Amino acid sequence: MITVAPEVSNSTSGLKLDLENLMPEQTALEIKNLDLFYGDKQALSNVNMKIPKGQVTAFIGPSGCGKSTLLRCINRMNDLVDICRIEGEIQLHGENIYDKQVDVAALRRKVGMVFQRPNPFPKSIYENVVYGLRLQGVKEKRHLDEVVEKSLRSAAIWDEVKDRLHDSAFGLSGGQQQRLVIARSIAIEPEVLLLDEPTSALDPISTLVIEELIGDLKDKFTVVIVTHNMQQAARVSDQTAFMYMGELIEYSDTNTLFTTPAKKKTEDYITGRYG
Amino acid sequence: MEHNLSKHISGKFNQDLENVRNHVLAMGGLVEQQLNSALDAVSSGDSDLAKKVEKDDYKVNAMEVSIDEECTRIIAKRQPAASDLRLVVAIAKTIADLERIGDEVRRIAQVALDSFSKEQQDLLVMIDNMGRLVSKMLHDVLDAFARMDVDAAFKVHKEDAKVNREYEALIRQIMTYMMEDPRSIPKIMALVWSVRSLERIGDRCQNIAEYVIYFVKGKDIRHTSQEDIEKDILKM
Repeated sequence: MITVAPEVSNSTSGLKLDLENLMPEQTALEIKNLDLFYGDKQALSNVNMKIPKGQVTAFIGPSGCGKSTLLRCINRMNDLVDICRIEGEIQLHGENIYDKQVDVAALRRKVGMVFQRPNPFPKSIYENVVYGLRLQGVKEKRHLDEVVEKSLRSAAIWDEVKDRLHDSAFGLSGGQQQRLVIARSIAIEPEVLLLDEPTSALDPISTLVIEELIGDLKDKFTVVIVTHNMQQAARVSDQTAFMYMGELIEYSDTNTLFTTPAKKKTEDYITGRYG
Repeated sequence: MEHNLSKHISGKFNQDLENVRNHVLAMGGLVEQQLNSALDAVSSGDSDLAKKVEKDDYKVNAMEVSIDEECTRIIAKRQPAASDLRLVVAIAKTIADLERIGDEVRRIAQVALDSFSKEQQDLLVMIDNMGRLVSKMLHDVLDAFARMDVDAAFKVHKEDAKVNREYEALIRQIMTYMMEDPRSIPKIMALVWSVRSLERIGDRCQNIAEYVIYFVKGKDIRHTSQEDIEKDILKM
């Protein structure tokens, strides 16, 4: 007679994290009381969340809800906007990235970003991947070659480009370009990878390839993704945060959020109702 | 959280969900009618009515297949989430249970094809009483489904204990009867099967009650004690 029920995993990662009480060693990013203003207009209000290490966290919500703004805060892209003012903290492994002594260039080496439209540099595939390393002054060819192969393999594009590494990156398809850009971001081995709607300009098959890639990337990096495609968030992420009008409405493991959301606003959004 | 099937931005989606829900209610109505006809046939020994019940079971089967198709279509086209997803899942399971209730009803109707002695008639009356109790349970659970009423569903859930007690009492009675008159056993076995079928219908009504609670509350209460359901889930 079977007396012990077989253990049934209910999460893609096998374990369900307690997001509110993450241990420091499980936490990659902690956002604390974050407010953000563009001039007089408040774009984020009092956002608090912990993003676990080595997992995929998705931000969803309607246009203008602040999800891209929040993503950009994580590598201080909003510093480039003159009228933008930020209050609160974002801690990367316990250190506030908005501290005065933080070197923004160093921060962005640790927190890579990939945008909606693929933006390869007008250079060869090889030079695109090693760009960051060259900036850091790495010259040794053998080391560069190794990084190129490793990064392109991790970005699941090596087999497609290995025979034309010195051709222009513009000769690649949109989906390939996006994977090349991901390879470029991971070549400098960041800790966190931010993806801002990485597949919205791609066809469904390229999208699936990138989604598959995101699943593999989380073994090495913490991935944070903004997506308009809810099914995509449901497919690729371990945690999902739903934002609405600058506020974090609900943040929980993806399985729960898409089957039994706690808040009515979340329910209305993910089921396509008007509130 | 209130659950309104409408209010989707897509009007067609509202309509799809509303249609599939109405089809489930129609299927439930048909199964309920079949059960009552079977009970009538047994209590009055009406073999024509019993044959009609057997024949009409194909309608229940056909409805299950077509509602299943509708559910598959909704999943493929709409990728339902949250309460919409739970509704589609609850419906797919409900119709499977309704179809099986239809099969049990056929088994009950077969009793009406036999003739029984005067003493055996007493047993038929008792079966009819239990049958009406089960029929009420089916009616109530379909009502709870139509109104997505958790409290009503939970009431049906508790009702099953009564059916089980009735079942045990009846079986004891039938066994006594068989011991007294072993020659009647072959004929009485048909009654045992029909009582068993009624008990199974009660269990399936209880399943449907669980799906209603799952849809509304988002909690799977299968294999949970009634005290825990009352304490943890209905209070949510």
